[in-house]
Amino acid sequence: MSAGQTSRQSPVLELHRLRKTFKVGRGPKARKVRAVDDVSLTLDKGTTLAVVGESGSGKTTLARLAMSLLPPDDGDILLNGRNLTGLSPRALARFRPSMQMVFQDPFDSLAPWHTAEQIVGSSLHLRRDLGPAERRRLVVEVLERVGLPQRFLSRYPHELSGGQAQRVGIARAIVTRPSLVVLDEPTSALDMSVQAQILALLHELQNEEQLSYLFISHDLAVVRYLADRTAVMRRGQMVEVGDTAKIFDRPENDYTRELVEASPRVTAAPAGRQPDRARADGVSHRVRKAL
Amino acid sequence: MMDSRSALLEMRDVSVTVRGAGGEVPVLREVALEVRRGELVGVVGETGAGKSFTARAVLGLLPHGARRISGSVVFDGTELDTPRAYANLRGTRMGFVPQNPRLSLDPVFTVGSQLVAVIRRGRRMSRTHARKRGVALLTGLGVHEPERVMRSYAHQLSGGLCQRVCIAIALANDPELVIADEPTTGLDVTVQRQILDLLRSQLVRDGRGGLLITHDLGVIATWCDRVAVMYAGRVVAIGPVADVLREGHPYAHGLKGIAVALEQGVEPVAIPGTVPTPGDQIEGCAFAPRCAVATDLCRADDPAPRPYGDQLVRCHHPVADAELPAVGHPTRSEEVEV
Ligand SMILES: Nc1ncnc2c1ncn2[C@@H]1O[C@H](COP(=O)(O)OP(=O)(O)OP(=O)(O)O)[C@@H](O)[C@H]1O
Ligand SMILES: Nc1ncnc2c1ncn2[C@@H]1O[C@H](COP(=O)(O)OP(=O)(O)O)[C@@H](O)[C@H]1O
Ligand code: SF4
Ligand SMILES: [Mg+2]
Ligand SMILES: [Mg+2]
Repeated sequence: MSAGQTSRQSPVLELHRLRKTFKVGRGPKARKVRAVDDVSLTLDKGTTLAVVGESGSGKTTLARLAMSLLPPDDGDILLNGRNLTGLSPRALARFRPSMQMVFQDPFDSLAPWHTAEQIVGSSLHLRRDLGPAERRRLVVEVLERVGLPQRFLSRYPHELSGGQAQRVGIARAIVTRPSLVVLDEPTSALDMSVQAQILALLHELQNEEQLSYLFISHDLAVVRYLADRTAVMRRGQMVEVGDTAKIFDRPENDYTRELVEASPRVTAAPAGRQPDRARADGVSHRVRKAL
Repeated sequence: MMDSRSALLEMRDVSVTVRGAGGEVPVLREVALEVRRGELVGVVGETGAGKSFTARAVLGLLPHGARRISGSVVFDGTELDTPRAYANLRGTRMGFVPQNPRLSLDPVFTVGSQLVAVIRRGRRMSRTHARKRGVALLTGLGVHEPERVMRSYAHQLSGGLCQRVCIAIALANDPELVIADEPTTGLDVTVQRQILDLLRSQLVRDGRGGLLITHDLGVIATWCDRVAVMYAGRVVAIGPVADVLREGHPYAHGLKGIAVALEQGVEPVAIPGTVPTPGDQIEGCAFAPRCAVATDLCRADDPAPRPYGDQLVRCHHPVADAELPAVGHPTRSEEVEV
């Protein structure tokens, strides 16, 4: 929608026929899991591509492949036209600041022995031009932008609630002003009011910095709000991709349709699905009236 | 005893403090709520409001440095006031789905062996039978390859699979009370629906009860009977879901406005400001700095709970349905197209 119409230069990210298989267990009982099975996607500069789908369908694996945190069994990953497949960790290190990730599970991804200031500051370790005061100013500024006032600087992850921890994770990712940001369920740990603030922030940053988001989420309302294009995954494969509005309003795939219909709403409780289900019909009625 | 409306769980004015830099700071302030048999009660509120602490206070699982300084927790008529009182409850009569599924699983054992151990704690059963039951539980939760999942370690599973393993562990022994802390945040909406339908139908049918913590008002509206809205360590509104979402506490209305805006694809209006953190000096109503209808009275006097229709609200000026302003402004795409 918005920024997507700007220019048709080379995409920020191109994923070409990616495959990744994991092995679980040993010996005769070992099983193979096809986590990502022949997936291709393109992300244009300044736009948001959402990946939605079944839990366990390979979204996080796809994100880790895109970030070159995991080598693919097959296929190519291009960042700003440059093929990253097969580069050594050293060669990759140069590209790290321009691709950042916000993880699904904030506690998993924040070092427990570091304060919020150290965690966010660690993203800036390649910026040798920054003095300590300047670095601190950037960290304070970005934390404030994600809704954490100064007193959080010295907090450790275990002293944060889930949502506060996730905000630190978002600050760590955006502080380097990256060209690609992979967001793996960035708002699923956040409550409504903070979600709204974070979404507004992501949106604003995208417009200002031409950031490109690969956005993984189970929250279809959020996807609809933020994403220009949406890809739907199921059991390792991509079953549908297209403009977000089209995916939601005229889904072609059965699974996509099922997904769109299952989204719980304040405004419309699903009719007749469950005889004893708690009723919110009154709410939907009043809300519609209020609008 | 099995009266379907009798209280299964009662929290009466529970206050909890944690040791902070400047001494003891309150994280729960006189939290009062009740779960009756056959109902699912939602708990909603902003990050840091104390939802997880509420769950842990009920379960006697407060983190190190935290303690209950007053109030009581009564489960099925028995007061839970000592660690002993919990001994034969957790994992059997009370099931818990923690907020952080991956961290709560043991990394050195397969998830299947952990599930089997819990099942065998609740009932005498051979390992093979327990394993079968584990597979059945996972299948009921929409897991496609339960055998493979059983043989995996937590780090080999997606977030949503870990979450379902934790739900299976919580439900393994058909607990009378299920406390689930954001149990479906990592799940796609079809699986979420399957699980919450299952949970709700079991609890309602068998006269058991559940406390469902979530920040998703859509989930509350669809699956819960009553809801408690938390703010800054307090329950500020509690009552039937439709009532609480319709009118009453200004904070509940603000949350609903955001949910509705997102659903309609319009730009949500965030509630300005942030939640106070434990230890902040709070005078009067904790929500006053962010509340559109706050008065001097609110800033001076912390409102006590009072009845408002079928709800109990802590608010000096509860807003009636008719007075509520519309929520949201035009959509992003409309803005672009104009
Ligand atoms: N390191 C690993 N070893 C073995 N299997 C793995 C590993 N990582 C992921 N898997 C498996 O690959 C599949 C895809 O996992 P992935 O984390 O990408 O799913 P997801 O779509 O992100 O799911 P969710 O929505 O639940 O987060 C799952 O079945 C998972 O169990
Ligand atoms: N171990 C801890 N020690 C001190 N404070 C904590 C600890 N864990 C959480 N807190 C703080 O207690 C408050 C309530 O936390 P919690 O119950 O986890 O909130 P939520 O409603 O998000 O579940 C938050 O402000 C959080 O920062
Ligand atoms: S007591 Fe006053 S400040 Fe608090 S929520 Fe009610 S109206 Fe707003
Ligand atoms: Mg994932
Ligand atoms: Mg919590």
